[in-house]
Amino acid sequence: MASSAISIRGVSKRFAGRDDASGTLALARVDLEVRKGEVLMLLGPSGCGKSTLLNIIAGFLAPSEGEVLQDGALVSRPDPRRTVVFQDYALFPWKSVQENVEFGLKAKGVPKADRRRRAREVLRTVRLNGFEERYPHELSGGMKQRAAIARAIAVDPEVLLMDEPFGALDAQTRVLLQEELARISAETGMTIIFVTHSIDEAVFLGDRIVVMSARPGRIRELHDVSLSRPRLPDIRSDPEFRRLADGLWESLRKDWQHEASQVAAAV
Amino acid sequence: MWSGWRRLRRWALRLAGLGTLVVVWQTLSSLGYLNTLLFPPPSAVAATLIDLLRDGSLLENSWASIQRVLAGFAMASIVGIAFGILLGWSELASEVLKPIIEVIRPIPPIAWTPLAILWFGVGNSPSYFLVFIGAVFPVFVNTYVAVRGIEKSQINAALCLGARPMLILTDVIVPAALPMIFPGLRIALGVGWMCVVAAELIAAQSGLGYMIQQSRMMLMTSSVLAGMLTIGAIGYAANSLMLMLERRVMRWRSEAVS
Ligand SMILES: Nc1ncnc2c1ncn2[C@@H]1O[C@H](COP(=O)(O)OP(=O)(O)OP(=O)(O)O)[C@@H](O)[C@H]1O
Ligand SMILES: [Mg+2]
Repeated sequence: MASSAISIRGVSKRFAGRDDASGTLALARVDLEVRKGEVLMLLGPSGCGKSTLLNIIAGFLAPSEGEVLQDGALVSRPDPRRTVVFQDYALFPWKSVQENVEFGLKAKGVPKADRRRRAREVLRTVRLNGFEERYPHELSGGMKQRAAIARAIAVDPEVLLMDEPFGALDAQTRVLLQEELARISAETGMTIIFVTHSIDEAVFLGDRIVVMSARPGRIRELHDVSLSRPRLPDIRSDPEFRRLADGLWESLRKDWQHEASQVAAAV
Repeated sequence: MWSGWRRLRRWALRLAGLGTLVVVWQTLSSLGYLNTLLFPPPSAVAATLIDLLRDGSLLENSWASIQRVLAGFAMASIVGIAFGILLGWSELASEVLKPIIEVIRPIPPIAWTPLAILWFGVGNSPSYFLVFIGAVFPVFVNTYVAVRGIEKSQINAALCLGARPMLILTDVIVPAALPMIFPGLRIALGVGWMCVVAAELIAAQSGLGYMIQQSRMMLMTSSVLAGMLTIGAIGYAANSLMLMLERRVMRWRSEAVS
């Protein structure tokens, strides 16, 4: 019990429909215990409610049924003990990288000098030192996401929530950032809940992988990843890595084929 | 080197257009095609302009108008931005207040003049009021649309980092809306300038609008034109000033966007 960072208990979410009363059932009775310090990967077909679940954990959305607890306390609103990294970065374009990273500390009322020091330290962690005075529009996509990660971890959250954070990046940058994140998570021991579409990413980063089923979103499978840490690039050629990835591929294939045929039908 | 040439060329073209207009106007006058009493030549307007500058009345009247615009514009900016943020932020406020605003908004400022005179008599107050009425809506609409358009993920990012409403207002909403608030302010200043002249035509004892109205009554057409040119020049200068300020305040924006 004490080893759960986040407890998700019977969480359902129904979005009100535009015309009828039924609406969309995005999540159906999701139960999940997220362990302290683990990297939990959420994998599943598009529209299965991964973002919805993450938004409920963050406190941006209220569940229709059930509850989310952090350290036994009910989650009812956003809180800096759980910070979020968004796919579209959501950096503040009018603030420099330094000011972006300082934002959460400013909200906490940390004195200016301490803020500066802490932000520089975190920017070093994500290897963005030297870019403190740049504005977001002057950064590449990968650098923007590093800045967004720095901003999210600057407040020392217990849980880091990431919604396809590398989804918009090119393949090389993506792999590089996965390795950085593996290092950061090992260094900080933060609990991370990470939404992805990529099986490779899920296996590379995760301690456990949750596979969700197509709508309404449910937890279909839960896999333990028994690969050693720290995760280094060559782990991708480990037979265990291949075995897990192939298994996930088999299990998700039907959903993805279904998704593809639906898209084809819509076009 | 090249950009220097291009700038020179651009300015030459601009002055050429203006110069041609003046020359044609002057020539038509000299050839007797224009009634110089009703449409005096540029030379006469220029002479009048110099006279009016010498005796100080042009500056005095300009200042009277400018000061009225600034007062009305300042009030309009505060009210427009405040209501834009309030209605942009709160669904409830928007539902309740939007219909009222949408009914008042299409009424042209000129149509408020009779009421302004009834309420405030003649003097500075009706001008303040009319400038306010003209300027407040462009500021409001732009602020409102900007706040509505703020990306949800930016608000969420601020919230999950522990920001309270005040910090979200000062550090997220206002700067995010600024790129649209500024053009609104610029349009509002232009409208305000038009309104002050309109107000002074009827409800003031000083100002450029008053000056051209008085000149009309004395059939001093070149003074009317001199006044109109001054109105145009000040309006142009104000707009340029706002543009400069805008670029300066929003230096964080990429070149591609602006
Ligand atoms: N605000 C909303 N209003 C109505 N329906 C919504 C809303 N947000 C999400 N949905 C619906 O809920 C379902 C789950 O959406 P969600 O964004 O959580 O999926 P996802 O797993 O994150 O998908 P993707 O992999 O494409 O990001 C979808 O069918 C979506 O259309
Ligand atoms: Mg999603």
